[in-house]
Amino acid sequence: MPHSENIILHAQGITKTIDTGTHRVEILRGIDLSIPAGQFVAIMGASGSGKSTLLGLIAGLDSPTSGRVMIDGVDITGLNEDKLALLRGCKIGFVFQSYQLIPTLTAEENVLLPHELAGGAVAAGLTRARALLRSVGLEDRLDHYPVQLSGGEQQRVALARAFMGKPPILMADEPTGNLDSVNGAHVLDLLISLNEREGTTLILVTHDRVLTSRADRIVTLSDGKVVSDEMQTTVADAAGGESRV
Amino acid sequence: MNLSWRTASRIAWRETRASTAKFLFVVLAVAAGVGALTGVRGFSQSFRATLTAQSRTIMAADLTARQFLPAAPEQIANLDQLVASGVEHTLIMETVSMGSSAMVPIDSEAATPALMSIKAVDPAQYPYYGTVRLNPPMALKDALENDTVAVASDVLIRLDVKVGDKLHIGRQTMRIAATVVSEPDRMSGTLNVGLRVMMSREAFERTGLMGFGSRGAYRYLFKLAPTAPPVADVRKSIKNALPDSLVADFRESNPIITRGLDRASTFLSMVSLIAMIIGALGVAMAMHAHLQQKMDNIAVIKSLGGTSRDVMGIYTVQTLMLGLLGGVAGVAVGRAIEAIFPILISHYFPMSIQSRWNVDAAAQGIAVGVLTTLLFTLPPLLAIRKVQPALILRRGMPEAKLPWRKRLVETRAALAIAALILAAIGGIASWLAESPRVGGYFVAGLAVSLVLLSLVASFLLQGLKIVLKNFPVRIPVLARQGLANLYRQGNQAQAIMVALGLGVMFTLSVYLVQHSLVAEIVETAPPGMPNVFLIGITPELVEPIQALIANTKGVEGTPEFAPSVAIRITKVNGTPFEQLPTPESGRRFRSGRSVMFADAKPDSIGIVSGAWWKQGETQPVVSVDEEAAQRLRLRTADRIEIEGAGKTVNALVVAIHRVEQMRVGSANEFVFNSAALIGFPATFYGGVRMKSADVGAFERAAYKQFPAVTVINVVEALAILQQVVDQVAVAIRFLSLFAILAGAVILAASVAGTRFRRVREVVILKTLGATRRHAGRIFSVEFLTLGAVSGLLGALLASVFSGLVLNQLLEASYSFDWKVTLLAVALTALLAQASGWLASFRILRQKPMEVLREE
Ligand SMILES: Nc1ncnc2c1ncn2[C@@H]1O[C@H](COP(=O)(O)OP(=O)(O)O)[C@@H](O)[C@H]1O
Ligand SMILES: [Mg+2]
Repeated sequence: MPHSENIILHAQGITKTIDTGTHRVEILRGIDLSIPAGQFVAIMGASGSGKSTLLGLIAGLDSPTSGRVMIDGVDITGLNEDKLALLRGCKIGFVFQSYQLIPTLTAEENVLLPHELAGGAVAAGLTRARALLRSVGLEDRLDHYPVQLSGGEQQRVALARAFMGKPPILMADEPTGNLDSVNGAHVLDLLISLNEREGTTLILVTHDRVLTSRADRIVTLSDGKVVSDEMQTTVADAAGGESRV
Repeated sequence: MNLSWRTASRIAWRETRASTAKFLFVVLAVAAGVGALTGVRGFSQSFRATLTAQSRTIMAADLTARQFLPAAPEQIANLDQLVASGVEHTLIMETVSMGSSAMVPIDSEAATPALMSIKAVDPAQYPYYGTVRLNPPMALKDALENDTVAVASDVLIRLDVKVGDKLHIGRQTMRIAATVVSEPDRMSGTLNVGLRVMMSREAFERTGLMGFGSRGAYRYLFKLAPTAPPVADVRKSIKNALPDSLVADFRESNPIITRGLDRASTFLSMVSLIAMIIGALGVAMAMHAHLQQKMDNIAVIKSLGGTSRDVMGIYTVQTLMLGLLGGVAGVAVGRAIEAIFPILISHYFPMSIQSRWNVDAAAQGIAVGVLTTLLFTLPPLLAIRKVQPALILRRGMPEAKLPWRKRLVETRAALAIAALILAAIGGIASWLAESPRVGGYFVAGLAVSLVLLSLVASFLLQGLKIVLKNFPVRIPVLARQGLANLYRQGNQAQAIMVALGLGVMFTLSVYLVQHSLVAEIVETAPPGMPNVFLIGITPELVEPIQALIANTKGVEGTPEFAPSVAIRITKVNGTPFEQLPTPESGRRFRSGRSVMFADAKPDSIGIVSGAWWKQGETQPVVSVDEEAAQRLRLRTADRIEIEGAGKTVNALVVAIHRVEQMRVGSANEFVFNSAALIGFPATFYGGVRMKSADVGAFERAAYKQFPAVTVINVVEALAILQQVVDQVAVAIRFLSLFAILAGAVILAASVAGTRFRRVREVVILKTLGATRRHAGRIFSVEFLTLGAVSGLLGALLASVFSGLVLNQLLEASYSFDWKVTLLAVALTALLAQASGWLASFRILRQKPMEVLREE
C-alpha cells in the first residue's frame, strides 16, 4: 500500500454488534477508514448513527466484533487491556463530551497525570503542564479542583490534559456538546490552534457545521455505515486525500 | 404526600427490577446479618439446653434443698402441697459412718472398719435425671432392697469383699448387690468424704445410723413437671417450706458448672448482640452505598415534580422490601447455621438440635432485619430532602455552606436521629440479651465508639487533605491518588472507617473476651487437677505416701498435700458463738470444724473480696469460704476466735474466697496463715491425678500399706465435670470463630459495596494510559491505609471494651496484649485490601467504553 508509512490510523472492516439479551443491535456495519498523520478529520452524523462507538473502537476503548484497527502500524485488535492502556498513554489523547476530570486532583495535577502515569519526571512535566494550562487561559486556576471550575473551564483543562503526553493522535467526542455556543466556540478554537501548534492528527466528532470549513476531511456516518467521505477542497494540500482512502 | 403508597411501591419495585445485582447485594448483606444473629441465637439456645440438661443430670433434679436437720412434719406437709402444682420431691439422706466386712471374724484384722459415705435414696424416684449405672447392670430399685446395698468399687478393694458378700453397717448386715459405676449427682452430695455406699431409705432406717445427734445431711430433690410454675417461683415456695435449707436450682448444680454456665450464657448473648451489630453494619453500609448511587435518580424524580416526601416514600418502601426480603432469607440462613453447627462440633460433643421450628425466633430475626435496615437508612433517607434537582446538572457539586444557625439545626436533627437509632438498638439489644444491663453496655460501647470513630476519622481525613496539599515533596502520583481517594467528595472513606473500626472493635472483642474467658473456665477444671484423694494422713505418713505415689503407675503431675486442723469456733467479733443471731443453718459451725493453713494461696480457691496475706505474715489471719461467710455473716475485717489443742487464737478475716476447683476432703472452708495455727496438731489430705485404669491398683497398695488412710476415687465424676467445662470452652471458641468470620465477611462486603463509585475513575485513568497495575496500586494505597487506620482504632477500642465486659459483666480479668493489637491492625489492612481488590477486579478488566456509555 503506497504511503503506508504516513497512515497513522487504519480501520478495516470493523463491525460492532451488541446482544442485549432481548435483541441484537448492529451498531457498526463494516467501516473502513485510513487516516494519514497530521490530518484533521471531522466525523459527522445524526445522533445514534454510531459516531461515539466508532471513536471508542479506534481509540482502543472497546474491541470490535470483527475487523481490525491499526494504530501507527500496530494492530491493536488482539491487545490486552494493559497493552491498550500503555498504547493510549503514548499515542492517543482523548477529550470527552463530559470532561471526565478526576475530582480529587487539581487542574494542574489532572493535566500532569498522563505524564506521571507514563513514568515521566515531575519537574519536566510540571513546566509543560503549566504551559498548556496557560495556553488554554487557566494559568491562575492551577490549584482549583474540578468542582470549582465551570464546564468550559473544565473542558479546557481536559484539552490541556489530552495534549500533555504529546500524542500523535487526538480524538474528541463532541467536546462542545455540553457547552453553550460562546464557550463551545472558545474550546474549539483552542483545540484547533493547539492541534496546529502540536502537529497532531485530529479526529473530531461534532455536529457543528462551522467546523466543516476548518477540517481537512469530513466523514459522515449513517446507521453504522460511512455514507460520505469527502476532502475539503478549500485546503490545498488535502487534494490527494481522496485517493488515499 | 401526593403519591399513594401503591404508586410509591410500584415505582420502588420497578427500580428494584432494573438493577437486580445491586439490590441482591443489599439483600445478601441483610440476610448475612440476620442469619448470623438468628443462627447464633438458635445455636446458643440449643447449647444452653444441652448444658442445662447436663446440669440437671449433675444435680439429678431441677432443684435441691439441703439442710442438716430433718424437716418437721408441717414442713413436709408444705412440700407435699407443692406436688399438686407439678413439683415432685424425694429425700436423700447422707451420713458418714464406719462399715466393715461381715465375711471375716469380727475381731480379725481384715474386719477393720472403713469410713463410709452413706447415701440413702428412694430408688423408685431417685434419680430424677441421669441414671445410676451399676455393675452387674440392673435397675437401682432391684439393687436396693431392704437388706442390700450398692457400693463403690473402692469398698470392694478396701474391705476385700466382692459382689454378693455382706457388710456390717450400723446395726445391720447388708448384702452387696452391685457396684456403683457412676452416679449422676456424685459431685453435688454433701458428705463425700468416705467410700460410697448406697441403700434405700428403708434399709437406712434399719441401720439406725440417723439417730439424734448424728452428723448427717438431708437433701430434697425436686422435679418440675412441664406444667409447674417457673423455677424462680418454685424456689421461693421451697425456701418458704424449708426456711433453714440451702436451695439450689439446676443452674447451680456445681459451683464450677454454675459459673461456667453463667459466663457462657452472658458470653453467648454478647456474641449474638455482636452478630446483630455487625449485621446491622453490613446493612448500613450496603444501604448507604445503594442510596448514594440513587442520588442522581432522586434528583431526576425531583426535577420531574416529585416532592421530598414522594421520594422518601418510594425509598422507604424500597428499604422495607429489601429489609423484609433480607430478613426472610436471613432467617433461612440462620436456620441452616443452627442445623449445621451441631454437626460441625459433633466431633467434640453431641448436641441435640431443636428440631421444632421456632416461630418466635424467626419473627425476631425478621423484625431485627427490617428494623435495623430502616434505622440505618434513616439518615440517607432524610438526606433526600436536601438533594437538589440541580445535582443532575452538575455532578459532585459541593453543598452550599449553610449559615451556622441552620447547620446547628441540621446537626441537631442528625443527632436526634442518631439518638433514636441508638435507643432502638439498645431496646433490641436488651430484648435479645434478656438483660437491660448487657444491652446498656452494648449501646454505650456502640455510641461511644461511634462518636470517637467518626470524630477521629473526620479529623484524620481533613488532616490528610491538608498534609497532602501542603506536602513539601511531591508524593508519587499513584500513592497520592490513593490517599486523595480517601477524602474525595462523595467517597465513603469516613463511613467505611467508622464501620470497619466498629466491626474490628466488636469482632476483636469477641476474640479477646473469649480468650480470657476460656482460660478462666478451663482453669476451674484444669486437665491435671487431682481426681483421687487421700484422707486422714497423719504427719508421719506424708513422706511414705509420697514415696508410694512416686512409685505408682499412671500418676500424672505432682501430687498435692494440704494440712487439716481440728478446731472449734468460739467467738465472732467478740460475741460468744451461742449468742450469735446466726440462722439455723449456721449452727453446725458450733461443732468442730476442720480448717487448713497455707501461706501462698492454693490454686483451687479464688479470692472474692479482700486480699490474700503476704508471705511471712505473723499476725493470725484467715480467709473464709463464701458460703460459710454468708452463714456466719462474716465480712472482711471481722474477727473470729477459735479454740483447739488447748489454745485460743483470735484471727482477722482478711479475705473471702470461693472454691474454684473441687478438692474432696480439703478443709478449705477456713484457710489460716501458718503462723495462726502453729502448734496445732494437723493431719493431711492428699490429691493426685491418676489414669482411671490404674486407680484400683493404687487403692489396693495404699490400703495394704496405710490401712488408716481413706482413698476416694472421683475419676468418673470429675470426668463428667471436666467434660462439661470442655464443652463450654468448645462452644465458646466455636461461636467466637464464627462471629469473627462472619464479621470479616460482612466487613469485606461493606468495603466491596463501595466499588460502584470507582468504576468511572478507573476508566478515566485507563483512557489516560494507566494499566491495571497502576489502578491496582492506587487501590492498594487506599485500602491498606483505610484498613490499617480502622484496624488500629478498632483494636484500641476493643481493648477498652473487652476489658469492661470482662470486668463488669463476666467477673473475669483482662490484660492488654499488644501482639494481638498489631495482628488485628495487619489483618484488617489485609482484609480491606483483599476485599477491595476482589471487588475491583472486574472493574479493572472492563472495557472503558462500556462504562463511558453510562452517561
Ligand atoms: N451498549 C449498548 N447497548 C445497546 N445499544 C447500544 C450500546 N452502545 C450503543 N448502542 C446503540 O448504538 C447506536 C449508536 O450509538 P452511538 O455510537 O453512541 O451514536 P452517536 O454517538 O452517533 O450518537 C445507538 O442507537 C445506541 O443506542
Ligand atoms: Mg455520541
